[in-house]
Amino acid sequence: MSARLAELSVGDHLFEVSRLVTREDVKAYADASGDQNPLHQDDAVARAAGFPGIVAHGMYTMGTLASAIVAWAGSEGSLARMRVQFRAPVFLNETIVCGGSVRSIDAASGTVVLDVWVRVERGGATEWPIRKSEAEVRLG
Amino acid sequence: MSLNEALQGKAYPPVIFEIEERRVRAFAAAVGHAGAGVPPTFATAPEHAAGLTNVIADAELGLDLAKILHGEQEYEWARSMQVGETLTAETAIESIRGRASMRFLVLRTLLRDEAGETVVAARSTLIVREGE
Repeated sequence: MSARLAELSVGDHLFEVSRLVTREDVKAYADASGDQNPLHQDDAVARAAGFPGIVAHGMYTMGTLASAIVAWAGSEGSLARMRVQFRAPVFLNETIVCGGSVRSIDAASGTVVLDVWVRVERGGATEWPIRKSEAEVRLG
Repeated sequence: MSLNEALQGKAYPPVIFEIEERRVRAFAAAVGHAGAGVPPTFATAPEHAAGLTNVIADAELGLDLAKILHGEQEYEWARSMQVGETLTAETAIESIRGRASMRFLVLRTLLRDEAGETVVAARSTLIVREGE
């Protein structure tokens, strides 16, 4: 077992990373990803779909969560697999919090499976744009 | 218009996608990716080009962009993508299921390298709100 893996225990809370969702980043995300759905760029379209305003791409939120996982994994680690459920929208100018904890450890393959999530405080309550999701990380 | 279930299993034409440095850096900045390599979820760019772009344009399927939400996303990475390499992205409709008012359209996309090896396997579940 790698030294890194040996330090982990099931249930360990590994990271929490906050990020402000800006209009500029969501626009840049649309251009770089190729997803130009107006739901993510036009307030009127978002309102017609029943939202108070522009909704960030689910994949922007997943990508931000993946960045937090990769930062934790470090240069010796890599993402092997990731599966997320999108359960709530994310709006502009909100701060999302990306987190992860240890679900299971496979010493033989040198991998760890994380429970991962994204939460946001909205109107005095906690919403979960991503929840009950997982990421498998190879640790070098 | 309702989704055409007869199209389960339909494969769309492959799309050739070059991983360009400038686009990777813009993507990395947008999602706060601090590392030097290609962000893992950059896979969404070729996936979108081969998948949703084809699916929305498919008149036989009858999918309205205004009625879809992204429900689930899954990736398996065999290795990291590299700036400068060219991938071939190919999407098929894996399944169409659910009730009349809410359908789940599952797209399976494989990204292969120049040697034909699968680099990333993606599965995207779209929720289609029908009858509104």
